[in-house]
This record gives sequence, structure tokens and C-alpha cells, in this order.
Amino acid sequence: MKKDSKEILSLDSLKIGYSTGKTKKVLLPPLNASAATGEFIAVIGRNGIGKSTLLRTLAGLQEPLGGEILYDGRNLKDYSRMELALKVGYISTEIVKVSNMSVYDLVALGRFPHTNWIGKIEKDDHERIMDAISKIEMGSFCQKFVSELSDGERQKAMIARILAQDTGIMVMDEPTAFLDIAAKYDILHLLHHLSGDNGKTIIFSTHDLQMAISQSDKIWLILDDDLIEGAPEDLMISGAFEHLFSSTSVSFNIEYGTFSFRSDTMGSIYIEGTGKRYWTEKAVNRAGFSVAKEKTSTFIILPSEINSYWQLSTESKITKYKSVYELINALRRVVI
Amino acid sequence: MKSGIEKNKNVQNKSVRKARLIFATLLALVVVFFILDIFFGSVNIKASEVISAIFRHTGNNYETIILKFRLPKAITALIVGVALSLSGLQMQTVFRNPMAGPYVLGISSGASLGVAFVILGFSSNITPESLNGLGNWILVAASWLGAGAVMLLIMAISSRVKDIMTILILGIMLASGISAIVTIMQYFSNETMLKAYVIWTMGSLGNLTSSQLNVLLISIIAGVTMSLFSSKMLNALLLGENYAASIGLNVGFARSVIFICTSILAGSVTAFCGPIGFIGIAVPHMARIMFKTSDHKILLPGTILLGGVVMLISDIISQLPGSESILPVNAVTSLIGIPVVIWVILNRRKYSVSF
Repeated sequence: MKKDSKEILSLDSLKIGYSTGKTKKVLLPPLNASAATGEFIAVIGRNGIGKSTLLRTLAGLQEPLGGEILYDGRNLKDYSRMELALKVGYISTEIVKVSNMSVYDLVALGRFPHTNWIGKIEKDDHERIMDAISKIEMGSFCQKFVSELSDGERQKAMIARILAQDTGIMVMDEPTAFLDIAAKYDILHLLHHLSGDNGKTIIFSTHDLQMAISQSDKIWLILDDDLIEGAPEDLMISGAFEHLFSSTSVSFNIEYGTFSFRSDTMGSIYIEGTGKRYWTEKAVNRAGFSVAKEKTSTFIILPSEINSYWQLSTESKITKYKSVYELINALRRVVI
Repeated sequence: MKSGIEKNKNVQNKSVRKARLIFATLLALVVVFFILDIFFGSVNIKASEVISAIFRHTGNNYETIILKFRLPKAITALIVGVALSLSGLQMQTVFRNPMAGPYVLGISSGASLGVAFVILGFSSNITPESLNGLGNWILVAASWLGAGAVMLLIMAISSRVKDIMTILILGIMLASGISAIVTIMQYFSNETMLKAYVIWTMGSLGNLTSSQLNVLLISIIAGVTMSLFSSKMLNALLLGENYAASIGLNVGFARSVIFICTSILAGSVTAFCGPIGFIGIAVPHMARIMFKTSDHKILLPGTILLGGVVMLISDIISQLPGSESILPVNAVTSLIGIPVVIWVILNRRKYSVSF
């Protein structure tokens, strides 16, 4: 589906931060990264490390304090506001709540760099606006006011606004931050579709690592001393994600790509069998046990085709449990 | 999907038709109230006398009243309504504050400070009678500067303080501070200056000389023309500065244009008619309620027409048709405007974020 992917954006020793008067406060060491046409890129990093600042700088809303941002090989500084608005669109976490503004009017504002001095919507503009609205499947919402939309619908309308702006790159600061689970996956599905089938390069920040790992083509992992880029799997293999958690009691499970609290406090336990192993192991981990490779004196037998019970076998007795919940409660009482 | 788009086009057309209908009605109302404003006054003149005074040049007292007094006053009312409403609309969008207006934020006070400097500060030779030709331009320019200075101050504050109430309170503080300065200036000025200034502060729609009306007319035409060029920028600014910049707006340039435009509109009116309250804040909301849109391509002309209508009505009411007394027009505009402002506050519990 993707056309030949060429590099559309590159960061060359980019320094980001704030300058107040003569003092410059650089947030991170010089960053190097790149993005290609149609890539879905997740920006990951702890709170306050500078994700938003990086995205704002990419959108031209903040001056770079050094280094270069190249869009199609041309320095961001050489673009006028209008020219940049034809290259990159931006959505922040700032919520637009304007009274009496219809979804159509909001999306129409995306045509700003394309319309004449008074902002007249020509036939072509109208078609592109309707096209953007139909892409987000909100055709019946055109005349509804933005202030009456749900969080998810409003975010979709904002995305339609960028679509109408018709930029190759979409920069989004936590596009799913304030959404419930259903709306969140709805938006993700939409973004994924836009990057894959429509060739949009989407750069978005998120705190949902699991989602980023499973969905994105590339991850820009921002650490205190570096920006590491690569496919999620590359970063997984190199153990880069571990750096995010080095100072906390959370560990990263390379095998599953999931996170768990460090669970070596209660001892280890052997699990026999194959049925429902994944979820049982998760529960055992959560209870504070690690899963032993070799048989321990107390062990769990998983449900199988013959019996539908979990069995907890200690030195003295074997007890059956109907659910993981009961098994874990019993396990907590057992001293290993 | 095709039919969905078609259907939408119909809805779109319907709303365009509705807007056109409202525009036509407003235009008709402007004409009607303009004529009524000429017909009604503290002196009872029969309708037939009014018509013959305008068209037949009878040369009697009625003609003097109609052509030298009522006609200029109706024109002034129209201009003042347009200018104040327009500056209010622009300020509300630029500050993203539904409670912004030239009067509430102290812009009118700033303009009156400029006028006070000219009349009380520099020359004792300037009196209302001598304020012709160049003097009028000096007066109006001082008024622009005063309005601009306060605008600049409010802009600087509102870029740091986002809370609407805080900005409003600061506006009131500024207005009080300015009136204190003017009081001090009055204290140190001589009798002639003082008299000239006091007459100016009582200024109403009816006291303009023809040369003053010319200056006002030219200034407001300039301001309105500029504002028509700003409709696209204003639409973008609705989204807030960041989004506006991200869709290609040069925010600094846009702010400067609107800033100059507002200072000219509010400053010129204040220079010749004194501070007139609550038109600037109320009329844009009335236009929003009427047109149910946030699009400035519609709101700008809508506010212009509606501002004219409201000010003409205020002027007619202030004449108290049928009686010989006249109310200060400022009192009438306040009584019309304040209920609208209260309605806006009550109807938007979350108005601090929902603009």
C-alpha cells in the first residue's frame, strides 16, 4: 500500500528548549532523528522531558536553539508561516471550545493557507473539507457545534481540520490523552489508516507504551541523555526501554513487550501445563512471585482439556480453584 | 456518501439563505431607524414638515433643525454604533474573551486621557469652538494614542494572565487610575481649559461640528475597511494563537492590524462623543445569537449593521419622543447593553473556556 518511502523530515543536532531574554534553557542534548513518508512515529519519554517542546519546535511554534530541522531537505527557518502550514499540521492538547463554531467551520479553517485574502471557500475547498469530514466518518455532524461534541468526536474533528489543511506531516501532542478506551482506539485506528493508506507522516507523543509498540512504524525514544530511534522491535531487542524505568520498581518484559512490577519479593513458583498460561503467569507475577523454570515444592497445575480447575499443590495437599482470583488469594496465604 | 455530501450542501445553502434574510432585514432596519431618528426629536415637527424641509429647502426654522442638527446626529449615531460594535467584536476574538469591549477594558478611558492631554495639558487656546480642521485631527490622534496605549497594556497583561476575570478587574483598575490622572490634571488646569474639557466629557452625539463629523467619518471608514481585511485572521485567531500559527497565520502581524484598527475605531468615537458604554460588548453577542455562527465573514458585516440599528434606537429613546427633555445617550446604551452582558454570563457557566 505504501509508496516508495523517502525521507521527509530530519533533525540534525537539534537543540530544543526555551529562551527568555538572553538566557537559553536547552532541555536535551542535540537530537538526531528522521521520518519518512507515510511513517507512523511515536514519541516516547517520561513526563516533562521535552516531548511537547520537541513537537512544538517541529511545528514551527517555537524557535530551535541550535541545529537544524529539515523538511524535504530545506531548513525550517527558510519557510514562511504560510509555506510551513502547507507542510506540517499540528494538534496540541489545548482544547478548542468556541461557541457557535460548527464542525464544518472548524474543518474549513484547515483551508486557511489555501484560500484568498478573505478566506472564501471555493468549490475545490468545499470538496476537500467534505472529503476530510467523510474520512473521519462524521458526515452527519457537519452543522453540529464543536462545543457540543464529545472529547473523541472533537479530536476527530481536529484531525479532519489537519486533513483539510492537506499537509504531508501531522504532528500531534498526545492525541489520545483525554479519551476513553473506545475513543482512543477509534482515533488510533483512524491515524493508522491515514498514515498507511493516505501516505501521511504522523508524529505523535504518547504515554501508552504498549500501544506505541504494537502500532507504530518507528519510535523516537527520548531519554535524559539521548534520542534513540528505531522500529519498536529494534528498541525492544536492544533493551532501550529499560532506561525509562531504571529508577523505578517497574520492569520491562522483553518476551511479551509488557510491563510488570519487579516481582522477586515473594519467591518463585513453578507452573505446570499449558492452558491459560499467559494470564495465570500475569496474575502470579502481580501477586509478587516470579515463575520458576524448574519444579518447586509448591506448584500450580494449569487447567487442561480434562479438568477445568487450577490446582495449587503444596507439600501437604492439593486444592482446586475455579478462577484465577481464588487461586491468587490462596497463593498469597501460602508460605513458600 | 455522495448523497450525504449533497444533503450537506442543501443544509449549507439553507443557512446561507437564512443569513442573507437576516442581512436584508438588518439593512432595512438601519434605513427605517435612520429615518425615524430624523423624524423624532425634542421639538415636535410634523412628518410632512420634515419631508418638505429636506426636499424643498423651505428655509424656515424646521429646516435648520432637521439639516443642521438631526441629520448630522443620526449620521453620528450610525457611525458610533458601527465603530464601537466592530471594535468590540475584534477585541473579543483577539483576547478570546466574551467580556471584552472598548468600554469595559478601559480603552475608552485611554482615549479620554489622550483628549485630556490635548485640552488640559498643552494648550489653553484649544476650546471646542477652536477645534476645527487640524485641531480635530490632533484631538483624534491623541485619542488613538491613548486607546492604543491601553490596548497595548491589556495585550501584554493578557499574554501572561489567562483568567478573564483578572483581566476585567485590571481593566477597571486602569480606567480608575486614568480618571484619577485626569482629575489631577483638571486640578492644575486653568478655568478656560477646565470648561473646555468638562464640555467635552458631556459630549453627546449631537454636539459635533460638521468638520468634526468629517474627521470622524474618514477615520471610521478607514477603520471599517481595515477590519474587513481582518476577517480571515480573526477566524484563525478563534482557535488560539498556537493553532492559528500552525495553519499559517502570522500572529504578530494579525494582532498589529487588529490592534490599530480597534484603536482607530474606539479612539475616534471617544474623541468626539465621549465614552459610550456597553455597545461594544453587547452588539457582537447579539449578532452571534442572531446568526448562530463564529464565522467573521458573516459576523463582521452583521455586527456593523446591528451596531448601527442599536445605536439609532438608543438615540431615538434618548430623545424621549413626545417630551422636551433629553436623556444622556450613555444611560440608554447601558440599559440596553447590560442585560445582554448578564445574559451572556448566565448562559455560559463555562464561558471562561468556551469562547
